[in-house]
Amino acid sequence: MRRYWRIFKEFFRTCLVEELEYRSEFIGNLFSSLFGIIVSILMVQIFFYQTDQLGGWAFPDVLILLGIFNTLQGLVDFALRPNMPRLLLHIRMGTLDYVLTKPVDSMFFVSLRHLVFWRLIDVLLGIGLIIYGLVQKHFIPSLLDVGFFLISIIAALLIIYSLWMLLMTTAFWVIRMDDLSFLFSSFFETTRFPITMYKGWLRLALTYVLPAAFLTFTPASSLIGKWNGGTTVASLVVAVVFFWLARRFWKFALANYTSASS
Amino acid sequence: MITKYRAILRMKYVEMFSYQLSTMVWMFGTMIQPLITMMVWMNIYPDQGDSFILYFISLIMVERLTSAWDVWEMDRQIREGTFSYQIVRPFHPIHWAIAENIVYKGLFLVILVPSWIILSIFIPSLQLHLSFSQWGLFIAALLLGAIIRFAFSFMFGILGFWMTKVTAVYATFETVSLFISGRIAPFSLLPPLVKKISTFLPYRYMIGFPLEILTETADRQTLLVGFIGSSIWTVLLIVAIVWLWKAGLKKNQAVGG
Repeated sequence: MRRYWRIFKEFFRTCLVEELEYRSEFIGNLFSSLFGIIVSILMVQIFFYQTDQLGGWAFPDVLILLGIFNTLQGLVDFALRPNMPRLLLHIRMGTLDYVLTKPVDSMFFVSLRHLVFWRLIDVLLGIGLIIYGLVQKHFIPSLLDVGFFLISIIAALLIIYSLWMLLMTTAFWVIRMDDLSFLFSSFFETTRFPITMYKGWLRLALTYVLPAAFLTFTPASSLIGKWNGGTTVASLVVAVVFFWLARRFWKFALANYTSASS
Repeated sequence: MITKYRAILRMKYVEMFSYQLSTMVWMFGTMIQPLITMMVWMNIYPDQGDSFILYFISLIMVERLTSAWDVWEMDRQIREGTFSYQIVRPFHPIHWAIAENIVYKGLFLVILVPSWIILSIFIPSLQLHLSFSQWGLFIAALLLGAIIRFAFSFMFGILGFWMTKVTAVYATFETVSLFISGRIAPFSLLPPLVKKISTFLPYRYMIGFPLEILTETADRQTLLVGFIGSSIWTVLLIVAIVWLWKAGLKKNQAVGG
C-alpha cells in the first residue's frame, strides 16, 4: 500500500512538471472552470425561479449537492479521464506489453498514470460551493455529520473508480474511446440533482443497478445532518462489490488479451 | 452537381455504417440531459406532466435533427494539417459537410420517427394533432434551424484558421445556448428578460422556435417574429461563411506540409 502511494506521488510529480510547461493555458482553464460552475448554479436558479424545493430539497441543499457533484467531476477529470485515450493507444500499438511487464499492478498503472492538474480547479470550486451552501443554510455540520460524510464520500470515490474501470476495460473490445467517456458523463449527469427527484422504478434503478444515488446524494445528505447508518453501510457494500467486479473484469480482459505488436 | 452530390452522399452513407456503435452511443447519450431536465420540471409541476413529456421528447427530436458537429472535425483537421486535402479538392468542402449532415440526420429520422410513433401508443400526450399548414410551418422552421446551427458550427470551424482553441469557444456558446434555446425550460417558464434576449440571438431559432410550433405554443406574432429572425440569421451566417472562407484560405498555412 505504501509503495503504491509512493508510486502515485511519483506520477504526481512527473505530471506536474509536464503541466508546468504549459503555464500560459492556466488563465483560459481557470476561466472555463469558473464558467462551468456558474452555468450549473444558474441552471439550478432557473428551476428555483419556479419553485422552492426540488425533490424535497431547498436551494442551499441543492447547492451543497452541486458542490459535491462538481468536486467529484473535477476528480474524475483530474485523474481518470486523461488515462482513457492512453489505454486505447497502448492496446492498439501493442505497448500495453511494457505496462504488463512493469513490477506494479497493471490496473493501478493504466488508470492513474496521467494526471491533468488544472482540473483541480473544479475540485476547489466545488468545495467552495459546498461551503457557500452551508453558509447560506446557516448550518454547521457536527463532527458526526462530517464523519458520515467522509465515509460516504470515500465509498462514492470507490464506486466512481470502479464504474470507470468497468467502462475503460471494454476498450479491449470496443474501439472508440471518446464514446466511452461520453457514456460515463451522461450517466454522471443523473447525479446532479437530488435522487429523490426521480420516481418509481427509475429511482430504484439509479440506486441499485447503477449506483448513482451513492455518488452525490448520500454524501450530501450526510453533510446536512440527514445521514442514515443503513444507507452509509449500504454505500460501502456497493462500493466493495463494484470494485470487486471491476477487478475481476480487468483480470478477465487481460487473460483474453493477445498483444498487437507481433 | 446532382450526380456529384449523389456520389458523396453514397460515400458518407457507407462511412456512417463503419461507426455504427458510436453513432448509437451519441444518439442515446444526448437524450439523457433533456430527460433529466424533464424529470426536474415534472417534479416542480406534477400536474402538468403531459405537456412536459411532449415538450422534452420533441426537444430530443429537434435537437438531434438540428445538431451540428462540424466544428470538432474541422478543428482537428486544420490542426493536424489534413484539412489541406479537403481544400485542394475541386468540390467545396462545405458540400462534404452538408452531405454528411444529410446522411446522419436521415438515420436519426429513420430511428426517431418510428420510436415516436410506438411511444405515442403508450403515452397519449405524444399524439400530435397538427393541421397540414402547421406541419408545413414546423418543417420550414426545423430546416431553418438546422441550417443556422450547421452554419454556426461551420463558421466556427473556419475560424480555426486563425485560432487554436475554437472548440473551447464553441462549447462555451453551446453552453450559453442551453438557457436561451429553450433546452433547459419551455420559454413560458423562463424569466422575461431571458425571453427577450432570445429573440435577438440565433439560439432560439436553432431549437426553441421549431419546438414551439410543434407543441402548438406559438401564436401569430411569435411565428412572424420567428420566421423573420431565423431568415435574417440564415442570411447573415451564410454571408459570414463566404467571406470568412475567402479570408481564411489566404491566412491558411498548412501544418506538416
